[in-house]
Amino acid sequence: MSAPTTATDREADDGPLLDVRGLRTEFRTDAGPIVASNEVSFSLDRGETMGLVGESGAGKSVTARSLMRLIDSPGEITGGQVVFNGEDLLQKTEAEMRDIRGNRIAMIPQDPMSSLNPVMTVGEQITETIRRHQDVSKSEARQLAIESMDDVGIPDAEERIDDYPHEFSGGMRQRVLVAIGFSCEPDLIIADEPTTALDVTTQAKILDLLNEMQEREGTAVLMITHNLGVVAQTCDHVGVMYAGNLVETAELGDLFDRPRHPYTRALIDSIPEVDTDYDELPTLDGAMPDLGNLPSGCNFAPRCPHATEACRTGGDPSLDSVGDDSSRAACLHAADLDLSESTVPESGAGRRDVDRSGEPLFEVRNLKKYFNAGEGVFGNVHLSWEGGGLPTVERRHVKAVDDVSFDVYPGETVGLVGESGCGKSTVARTALRLLDPTDGEVYFEGQPLHELGTSEIRSLRREMQMIFQDPQSSLNPRKTVGQIVGRAMEKHGIATGEEKRERVGDLLERVGLSRAAASKYPHEFSGGQQQRVAIAHALAVEPKLIVCDEPVSALDVSVQAQILNLLNEIQEDENISFLFISHNIGVIRHICDRVAVMYLGKIAEFGSIEQVFSPPFHPYTESLLSAVPHANPDRETDRILLEGSVPSPINPPSGCPFQTRCPKKIGDVCEQELPELESVGGADHYISCHLSEEEMSQRDSFITPSKRAETSPADSD
Amino acid sequence: MSMYNYVFRRVGFMAVTLFFVTLIAFAVTNILPGDVALLILGPNATEQSLEALQTQLGLNRPLYVQYIDWVVGLLQGNMGESLRFGEPVSQLIAERLPRSMMLAVAATLVAVVLSVPLGVYAAVNQNEAPDVSASMFAFVGISMPIFLWGLVFILVFAVWLNLFPTGGYVSPSEDLVGSLTRLVLPAGAMGFALTAYIMRMTRSSMLEVLSEEYINLARAKGMSQRVIVLRHALKNAIIPVITVIAFQFSYAFGGVVVLEEVFFWPGIGRLTLTAIQSRDIPLIQGCILVVALIYMFSNFAADLLYAYFDPRIRYGGDD
Ligand SMILES: Nc1ncnc2c1ncn2[C@@H]1O[C@H](COP(=O)(O)OP(=O)(O)O)[C@@H](O)[C@H]1O
Ligand code: SF4
Ligand code: SF4
Ligand SMILES: [Mg+2]
Repeated sequence: MSAPTTATDREADDGPLLDVRGLRTEFRTDAGPIVASNEVSFSLDRGETMGLVGESGAGKSVTARSLMRLIDSPGEITGGQVVFNGEDLLQKTEAEMRDIRGNRIAMIPQDPMSSLNPVMTVGEQITETIRRHQDVSKSEARQLAIESMDDVGIPDAEERIDDYPHEFSGGMRQRVLVAIGFSCEPDLIIADEPTTALDVTTQAKILDLLNEMQEREGTAVLMITHNLGVVAQTCDHVGVMYAGNLVETAELGDLFDRPRHPYTRALIDSIPEVDTDYDELPTLDGAMPDLGNLPSGCNFAPRCPHATEACRTGGDPSLDSVGDDSSRAACLHAADLDLSESTVPESGAGRRDVDRSGEPLFEVRNLKKYFNAGEGVFGNVHLSWEGGGLPTVERRHVKAVDDVSFDVYPGETVGLVGESGCGKSTVARTALRLLDPTDGEVYFEGQPLHELGTSEIRSLRREMQMIFQDPQSSLNPRKTVGQIVGRAMEKHGIATGEEKRERVGDLLERVGLSRAAASKYPHEFSGGQQQRVAIAHALAVEPKLIVCDEPVSALDVSVQAQILNLLNEIQEDENISFLFISHNIGVIRHICDRVAVMYLGKIAEFGSIEQVFSPPFHPYTESLLSAVPHANPDRETDRILLEGSVPSPINPPSGCPFQTRCPKKIGDVCEQELPELESVGGADHYISCHLSEEEMSQRDSFITPSKRAETSPADSD
Repeated sequence: MSMYNYVFRRVGFMAVTLFFVTLIAFAVTNILPGDVALLILGPNATEQSLEALQTQLGLNRPLYVQYIDWVVGLLQGNMGESLRFGEPVSQLIAERLPRSMMLAVAATLVAVVLSVPLGVYAAVNQNEAPDVSASMFAFVGISMPIFLWGLVFILVFAVWLNLFPTGGYVSPSEDLVGSLTRLVLPAGAMGFALTAYIMRMTRSSMLEVLSEEYINLARAKGMSQRVIVLRHALKNAIIPVITVIAFQFSYAFGGVVVLEEVFFWPGIGRLTLTAIQSRDIPLIQGCILVVALIYMFSNFAADLLYAYFDPRIRYGGDD
C-alpha cells in the first residue's frame, strides 16, 4: 500500500506529465506477430486532455492499456518508454505498477454495464480502490466513497452506496465508474470510449461531468473515442491512429481547420452532421488493412485519394511536423496537400419528394405491446405487500409500446428515434408480427396484418424484410453467402437454378461486393461487408418494405457512411420503403424523410425531418437534438441536460410520460393529463405536449441549411 | 420484497411439478406387469381368494379412485403399507432415508472440497501444467462408473492397505468413529466420481469471469491477483457452479442406489431395489416420491443459494 502523495511533492516541474516514446506492443498470433501499437510517441501535460481517435482495430485501446502495463499474453510490450512523472513505467516491477494503477493513473472503461462487478456493491468497489491506495480506515474510506459519489452527481449517495450495480441505470453506472477513476485523485485518467455505450442525452451529461471533474482536480485525460464530436467537445489536442500507427497529432483547432493527413480528413467527412444536407455522404472506401498483412508503402495508400507511386513503396512514412502550426503527420505529401476544405459532395436540390397522395404502404394504428414483467409462467405474478395485511397477488406488465400510430408511404424512409429502451425495436417487431401485438391495427397495402393467420403472414414476409444491428446473428454461419441469398429466392419462388445464381451475383455486385463473394462464408467478411450481405439477403425477395433496426450502429463511421449511401441508392432505384430505427440523430437526419421521436413506448413527436428538427419542438426532441455533439470545435450549442433517467415502463408516470424530466413542465396538467399527439400549425407535424406552439418555438432550427465547408468560426455564435 | 416473490414463484412451480410426479409414480406402478394379488398369494391361489384380496387392497376399484385415495392418504402422511414387509411405507423410508442422505451429502462434500479449489487453480493457470494435471485428475474420476470406483476403493483402501472396513453401516449415534470410518470409502468413491463435473464447471466459469470487463477494471485499479481471483472472480464464478453442485447431489442420490449394494449400505437405494424385485407397489410409489422430492428440494435449495449469491435475483431486477 502506497501512502498518498500530495500533488506538490509529485510534481517534477519540468517536462510533461506523460511522455510516450516509441512505444511498441506486439501480439503473437497464429498468423505471426502483429504490431498493434507501432512506435507510438506523444506527450501529455498536466491537466490537459488528449483525444485518441481512429477506426476500431487501429490500436487505440492497446496503446492505452500499454501505458498501464495491462497487456496480457499473447501480447507484449516490446519497446519504447512510457515516462510518467519523470520515471519510465516500463522499468518498474509489477508490484510498483500496482501501486500506480488506480492511484496515479486510473482507467474509465467503455461499458458501464459490464465494467462493474455484479456481486459487489458499488460502495465496495469504490472503497476497495481507496483502501488499496490510501492509508485510511474502513469508515473513512466509506466516507470518501460517499463524497466521491456526491462529486459525480449520484443523488442520495449515502443511501445508494450499498446498492448493487444492477440497481443503477447505465448513466449512473458510468458515474460510478467516473467516481472510481477519480477516487484517488490521479494525475492521469485514461478514458476508453467512456460514452460510446450511452445515449446522446446521457453522453452529454457524462462528458460535462468529466470536464468538470478534470477542471476541479487538474487531472490530465487521455480520451479514446471514435466519435469526433466527442473529441471536438472535450480535447485540447488529438492523436489519430491508423493500423497501429499514430498518423497525425495536432491541436484541436488545427486538426479540424486543416487536417494534415488524408485519413483525418476522411474521418471528419464521413460523419453525417445534423446541420448539413447531403445527397451522398463522402465515404472512405475499403477497410483498414489487416495488421498482420500491411502494405509495403504507406498503410493508408490503398484507400488514399492522394496516393502516388512514391506512397506505395518504401515503408510507412514517419510522423513529422508539418507547416507552422502544431501538427505532425505521417504522410509523404503532408506539406503539399491542402486538406482544409472538406470533400463533401455539393449538396443538390435537397431531398427527393415522396408522393403521399396515394395509400400508405404500411400503416400502424394504436399499436400496443405489453410484456409480462419477469420470465416464465409465473414471471409476472407479483406479490404486492402494499396496504399491510396479507399480500395480494397482481400481474405486472412492461408497457413497451403503448399506443403508437404512424404510416410509411411507398419509397419513403420513416425513422424511429429515441433513447435505448424506449420501444423502437418492439414497434418494428410487433408491426411485422414477429411478436404478437397486445392491441392495435397494422395494415400492409391495405391488408390487416393483425388479423391474418401465420401462413398468410408468412407469404407476406417476402414483402417485408428486416436488417439488424448485428448482421452475424441473421446470417447462418454454416452456409455460403450464395446459399444464404439464393435460399431466400428459392423459398419465395423468385428464381431457381442458373437464373438464381445469376441473380445472386447481380445482387452481390449491387451491394458493392464481388460476384466471387457468393462462395465465401459470412465470417470471412468484415462487419460492414456482412451488413452488405444482409442487405443483399433482404433485397433477394424484392420486398416493398425493409425494416432496418440500428443497421449501422455497430460500424465505424467510414463504413457507416458507405452503408447509408448504399441504402439511399437502393431506395432511389427500387422505390423501396424503409422503417429506419436508430439512436443516432445524425444518421436519422441524413437518411429519413419523416421521423417519429419515441419516449417510454409512446410517440412524442412525428413529422418530416424539417419539421422535427425545426421549431416548434416537443421538449424531449429539443433536449435530444441539443445533446448531439458536433464534430466542429467552433460550434457551441446550448445543451439541455435532462434530469434523472427514463422511468420504468412497468410503472410509467401519470399524465405526460416525459413529465418527470421535462424542463418545460407546466405543472398539474402535465402530471394528470396525457397530452394527445396533435397536429401543430395544421400541418402533418404532430406533437404530444400541453405547451402552446409558441412555447415550443423558443429555439432556432437545428438544420438551418448550411454547408459544412462554409461553417467557419466567424458565423457560429 | 423481491426475494419473497421469487420464493413464491418457485413454490408454485414445485407444487405443479409435485402433482405430475404423483401422477407418474402412480401410473408407472400400475402399468408394471404382474398382478399384485397373485404375487402375494402365489401361483396356487384360488380365484376367490385372489378376488377377496383384490377387494381388500382396493385394487378392483377404478384407477382414478385408487389415485385419489392414494393422494389423500399422502396428504395425511399415510403412504400405505408395504406388501413385502408388512410395515408402513413411511416408517421404512424414514428409517433408511437418513442413511442415504448421509452418504450423498458426504459424497457431495468430498466432491466440492476437491473440485472447487482445483477448478480455480486450473483456470488461473489456464493451459499450463497445473491446469492440465488438474483436468487429468478430474477426468480419471468420470472415466469409470461409480460402482466400479466403489470396487476399486474397496480393493485399494480396504483389502490392500487395510485402512477402512469393506462395507456395512453403523449408526453414528451408536458408534461415531465406526460410522465415520465406514462412510469414508463409499463417500470418497462417489465424491471422486463427481469431482470432474464440478471442477470443469468451476474452471470454465472462472475462465469466463476472468475475461470479464470488471476483472479488467479491478486490475486497472491496482488490485492484486489474489484479491482479483478470490474477491472479484470466484464470487461470480461460483454462482453457476452451485446449480451443478445441486445437480450432482441429485446425481449422487442416483449413484447411491448402486453404491449401496456394493458397500452393503442399508439405505433408500437398496430399499428401492428390494421393492421393485418384489413388486411391492406402495413401497415403490413411496420410494419414487421421496427420491423425486429430494431432487426437487435440492434444486430448490440450489436456486435459493443462487439467488442469495446473485444480487440481481436477490433484489429483483425491476424495482
Ligand atoms: N489479445 C489479443 N490478441 C491478439 N490480437 C489482439 C489482442 N488484443 C488486441 N489485438 C489486436 O490489436 C489491434 C488493435 O486493437 P485495439 O487496440 O483494441 O483497437 P482499437 O481500440 O483502436 O479499436 C487489433 O488488430 C486487434 O486484433
Ligand atoms: S503518404 Fe501517400 S498514401 Fe499515405 S496518406 Fe500520404 S498521400 Fe496518402
Ligand atoms: S406535456 Fe408537460 S411534461 Fe409533457 S412534454 Fe409537454 S410540457 Fe413537458
Ligand atoms: Mg478500443
